[in-house]
Amino acid sequence: MAKRKFNLYFRPELVNEPITYVLVKDYDLRFNILRAEVVEQGGQLLIEVDGKPAQITKGVAYLQSMGVTVKELNEFVTKDESRCTNCGMCVSICPADAIEMDRKDWTVKFHLEKCIACGLCVSSCPPMAMKLQA
Amino acid sequence: MKRTYEEINAKIEKGDAVVMTAEEAIQLVESQGVEKATKEVDVVTTGTFGAMCSSGAFINFGHSEPPIKMQKVWLNNVPAYTGLAAVDAYIGATELRDGDGMEYGGAHVIESLVRGEAVHLRASAYGTDCYPRRDIDTYISLKSVNQAYMFNPRNAYQNYGVATNSSEKAMFTYMGKLLPHYGNATYCSAGQLSPLLKDPKLRTIGIGTRIFLGGGIGYVAWEGTQFKTSVPERNGVPSSAGRNLAVIGDLRGMSDEFLRALNFHGYGPSLGVGIGVPIPILDEDLMRSASVRDDQIYAPVLDYAIQSRNRKPMMEVNYAQLRSGTVELFGKKVKTSSLSSYFKARMIAERLKSMIMKNEFQLTEAVVPLPTSREQRPLDVCSKEEVL
Repeated sequence: MAKRKFNLYFRPELVNEPITYVLVKDYDLRFNILRAEVVEQGGQLLIEVDGKPAQITKGVAYLQSMGVTVKELNEFVTKDESRCTNCGMCVSICPADAIEMDRKDWTVKFHLEKCIACGLCVSSCPPMAMKLQA
Repeated sequence: MKRTYEEINAKIEKGDAVVMTAEEAIQLVESQGVEKATKEVDVVTTGTFGAMCSSGAFINFGHSEPPIKMQKVWLNNVPAYTGLAAVDAYIGATELRDGDGMEYGGAHVIESLVRGEAVHLRASAYGTDCYPRRDIDTYISLKSVNQAYMFNPRNAYQNYGVATNSSEKAMFTYMGKLLPHYGNATYCSAGQLSPLLKDPKLRTIGIGTRIFLGGGIGYVAWEGTQFKTSVPERNGVPSSAGRNLAVIGDLRGMSDEFLRALNFHGYGPSLGVGIGVPIPILDEDLMRSASVRDDQIYAPVLDYAIQSRNRKPMMEVNYAQLRSGTVELFGKKVKTSSLSSYFKARMIAERLKSMIMKNEFQLTEAVVPLPTSREQRPLDVCSKEEVL
């Protein structure tokens, strides 16, 4: 079993397609919706997919065949260690508990695997150490 | 048990002084008691690193050929104040760059200078018989200018309020992003490491006191603006913003490790300044205050949704609670964030300790003490008669 995160971008006409249902039913994938929004340009869905590696690949191919743009989320938010002052402003802002204050040495630890790429830490970081990659 | 500055400095010179950080002093007092600890320790070092908006630097650029009496000055497009002699200017940390949002400002210019980078200088003038030139466009650096010294009118607050937000929308403040419905609480003090909390009546900190400033050496210049002594106390230390310092020091010798441009989304730039003050342990009283712990230092929680200078504290919390990561407000667990870096505060206290132990830093007795009684006045809209 593997866990991967994907950002899915839909055109407006795809918003009504039950694609997540197909992912579960036909590809046996479990997924967790981390973020969802619909705007004029279409929809965006951030999902974490849990399943057999081969099935994930097939599921992604299915999504692409439906016209969904799929981008895997590897490093969406990055922490520039040379700018971080370890103040901890971002810690209480992060809705995913991906940022933590290490109380042994008082440094800020960023757990990328928990990050949902919401970007809230980016605008709240005083020394601008947290950056959003396009 | 009494000790003098002369005795302490003589020991520093010989390399015999016993110096401890405030964190180490706390542990020592806990295990040995105040009396023994006082006998053992000569100096306790402190540190803080936080956003200090009231900061800036005076720069003298040197004279051009032909000379100019600068009337308007921009550094990397950030206006600097030049209503002084011909080529003197003051660059303030929170000044915004002309015409492009709120992300870049004076703090960034100061950080650039300290990093040894070239900074773009542009100036205009009306021209006089003695200063005929009307404009100049060039570059400066810390190497090229005559003087560049930091002069910060308000730094190193003794304590500060904790910010939270009861409203329905997120607020963008100098205390950082405050999430709606008490979604978080932010604070800004190094607590048990914070310089002015360790000598709360400023018995040893006054005009002329030598300090660690931005990675270099600085001095206490004056009482800080909005300095006040009329604040509530708990366990012998102020439980809200009280005293603070105006400080001065050469930018040369400072480093971007302890001087960092910051930006508060929706508020603008500020400067992260690192300050450390050595507390000479002259007697037991000073040892007692130098070893005050986070759980004994309280701060008021303020609702920033109330946009008034008269907002009343909702409650008081101590720094041990704040530092634990959550505090309880109205029965709800609220996540906390610090704007002040405890990591850097600790580093500064350590750095200052090692400077003193290596005889690179001698203690100074204040030339003049800071006020022992000061109230903070408001600004009201009034008539010419009423103001007198």
